[in-house]
This record gives sequence, C-alpha cells and structure tokens, in this order.
Amino acid sequence: MSAQILTITSGKGGVGKTTVAANLAAALAMMGKRVVAIDADIGLRNLDVVMGLENRIVYDLVDVVEGRCRLRQAMIKDKRQPELYLIPAAQTRDKNAVSPSDMVLICDQLREEMDYVIIDSPAGIERGFRNAVAPADKVLVVTNPEVSAVRDADRIIGLIEAEEKGPGQLILNRVKPAMVGRGDMLSVDDVLDILAVELLGVIPEDERILVASNQGLPLVMHGVNGASAGEAFRNVARRLEGEDVPFVELVQKQTFMSRLRALMNGQ
Amino acid sequence: MGRQIEIKGNRDGLLIRVTDHPDFAVYEGLRRELDKKRDFLQGSRIALEIGRRPMNDEQLAGLQALFDDQGLTLWAVIADDSETREKAREIGLATRLSGSATDLEGNAMATVPNGKDSGTKELPVANALFLHETVRSGRSVVHEGHVIILGDVNPGAQVIATGNVVVWGRLRGMVHAGAGGDSAAMICALDLNPTQLRIGDQIAVAPDDSHAASVPEQASVRDGQIVAEPWRH
Repeated sequence: MSAQILTITSGKGGVGKTTVAANLAAALAMMGKRVVAIDADIGLRNLDVVMGLENRIVYDLVDVVEGRCRLRQAMIKDKRQPELYLIPAAQTRDKNAVSPSDMVLICDQLREEMDYVIIDSPAGIERGFRNAVAPADKVLVVTNPEVSAVRDADRIIGLIEAEEKGPGQLILNRVKPAMVGRGDMLSVDDVLDILAVELLGVIPEDERILVASNQGLPLVMHGVNGASAGEAFRNVARRLEGEDVPFVELVQKQTFMSRLRALMNGQ
Repeated sequence: MGRQIEIKGNRDGLLIRVTDHPDFAVYEGLRRELDKKRDFLQGSRIALEIGRRPMNDEQLAGLQALFDDQGLTLWAVIADDSETREKAREIGLATRLSGSATDLEGNAMATVPNGKDSGTKELPVANALFLHETVRSGRSVVHEGHVIILGDVNPGAQVIATGNVVVWGRLRGMVHAGAGGDSAAMICALDLNPTQLRIGDQIAVAPDDSHAASVPEQASVRDGQIVAEPWRH
C-alpha cells in the first residue's frame, strides 16, 4: 500500500489553502487513514497553528532536509487523531532552504508508512510552489468564487499541466449561496466554465471556520453534525476515497415564477 | 494606362505582375518581356501575379511552358480567382508567396507591388499553428503565421500571430492577429468575448455591456476600426 500525495495550492493567497489542508487531513484521519500533513510554506508557517500543534514543534522540514533530525522526529503527532501527523515548516528560513528534489525524497520515504501525504503549498508560483508540486500525485486547486482568485487558479492549472501533474481537481471555497442566488457572486458553474477541470468539492462560507482555526481545532473535528462547511470537507475526503458523493445543491434556484411571486408579495 | 508588366524582386525570387486588363495579350506580352530581359532573369524562380484574370488548366500549363522555354522556373501563380488558384494547385503550382506578409518585427517579407489585392495575404497552410488545448492565464502563444486553437483562450492569456487567429472555443483573453501590421487579418471565435482584441495596429476593448448571445463571431478591421459581427460563410 502506497500513499497518495496530494498538494493543495491556489496561486492567490488567502483563499483557504491551509484551512482546506488541515480539514482534509483531519477528515481523512477520522476515516481511519494514516495521514501526514506537510507545511511547505517555509518562512510563513500556518498549518501548525490551524491544527493546534504549534507548541509541540521541535524539528521542522528544513531540519529534515539539512540532516539535523530523522524524518520521524519532525513528524508531530496530532493531539486527537492517533494516525494524523504534521511536518511543520521552518519559520526562520525561506523557500530556498528546500529544493523540489528534497520534497520528492521526503515524500518517497513517507509513501510506505502512510495512506495520504497532504502538502500545503505557499501562495505564488515561485520556488515554494514548485517545491510543493514536485512530489504530487494529484494537485488540488483551491479557489474562491471571485474573478481574481479564479484567474490565478487558471494560471496555476496551466503550470500544473506544464509540470505534467494533470489538470488538477478543484475545491471551490467560501461560496455564499445567498449571494450566488442573487447573482452577486460567481456560481459554481461560472467558475467551472472558465477553469474546465474536475470539481472535487464546494465549501460554503462558514463563520465557524474562522473560530475553529483560531482555536487550533479543524472544523471537521468539532463533531457538530450538520456543520455545513465541515460536512463539505468530509464529502471531499470521501470523494478522494473513491466514493461517489453527490454535490449538495447550495443555491435555491430562483425561477422566473418564484421571482414574480416574490415581487407580487412585495418582497 | 499603367505598366502592363511589372517585375520585382523578393525573398523568394522574382514576382512578375501582369495587368488583368482583358485586352492585354498575356502570352505575347510576357514572351516579349522575357525575351527582352533574358539576361537579367537568367535562371530565376518566378512567381506570377495575374490579378482577376481567370485561367483554366490549359492556359496555366501554357504559362508554365512559356517560362520553361526561357529556362525559368514558374513556381507560383497568384490569382484573385479561386478557381484559377485551384487549377494552379492541381498542376503543382503554389498559389501564395511563402512566409507571411510581414514578420513579427513588422518588416515586409513578401510584398505585392499593388497593395489592393487581398488574395495574396493568405499565408501558407504550413505556417499555421494548431493547438488542441485550453490556453490558460499567463500563457503566451506567439507565432509567425496563423493560429488555430481547439479550446478556450482564458482571461490573462495572450495569443499573438502575424496571420489570422481562429478559436474553436471561448475567447476571453487577448488576441493580436496581424501582428506586424497586417490589418486584413481577422479573428474568429465560437464565443468572442475577449478582454482585448488587436488587429494590425488597431486595438479594441470589449464593450462594457458584455454581449448576451453567444454566437460565432468574426472580428476584422473596417474603416480603421475593429468590428465584430456574427460569423457567416
């Protein structure tokens, strides 16, 4: 059994790469998978904070690359899930401390022991991005339903194709169904229309994501059922496992008649 | 009445243009001219421009023989009449000058003495680039010749060609056709919704009220302006 290596990237910053990485890693671990998350954002590490493991860091990715510790020593065991690990980024170095071939080497070592390796890519298209993508079996592109984020996702997909990592799969994050319904936000179809890649998940905007990140407890671990964003992340994890999970229709389709009726009711 | 026969040098050899005035006797006129300039023409490759004059295969073969007799090679016949062009191709003659009308730096590569003809603006088929993929943001496709894309051109991508550009898909990025100054170039797309279009030296920006109907359209320069209209054949 060999691990699947997933890289989570976006091009644009702030679309929710780290949130997706943390929740996806947690969701897969909760399904009984052995998962290691790697923070490839050297110099701007976040994944440890979102996963609530910051205070346990002793060694980091750069320490492994530069031979100051064994790979096992840099793998921080999660507080809640027994088979969830984190390899944190170094905060005091920069992207050049690691090379794409270092990443390939590390992931090859992890392949035998794990089911999933999830790499959180930094924003941008430079060295850090190339480090993150180099070992990937599959690239998950995160974007938001806004024009600039979609533009960057398009660029990223082009770069992934150039690296022969396939077209990638899309996770559309922070969708506000009400706004889409009013026509004020790009819909899932609008985004797919431009990017023309396979859709892996649609994550609705959810205030609890922010709260969960601040607490260092990924939303999927909150155990609240019906938490829509959490549910969406679990669905992504199930789809990765090969399950055919239907997409929840987020938007109540406004037909002409329903709009007319609303108009007549003075709404 | 202007000169009935003009001879001009170009990169591919010599270009001879004969007037397409119906009263002009092509064979006689050419034979006289070739005899007169025998020394100058010696061993040249000749492209012959016959304008609107229609010619059948016999007449074209006669032309070939005429040049052969003088030890010259007729390699291309440039005609406005499409049937004549087809006939010429059938007997193994080229119907276009090689290379594009202009290269990327805007230098004329194969000029036509009389600029009114549009038949010579076509580029050789071999000079077309065919892409079966989506051209995504950040990509830049630059080509000397025509570009045909089977896929979308996304916003943030650019396609620059000295010839025409055909997008069998959605055009939402920037396309520059006729880069180098050919304002006769055109741009076609199944869904023409670009951030910007350039043809020759003209630049057009998509109108703010983005079009509703998605029908195939073609854009070309008319009266010094880029206009887009529904595609028709």
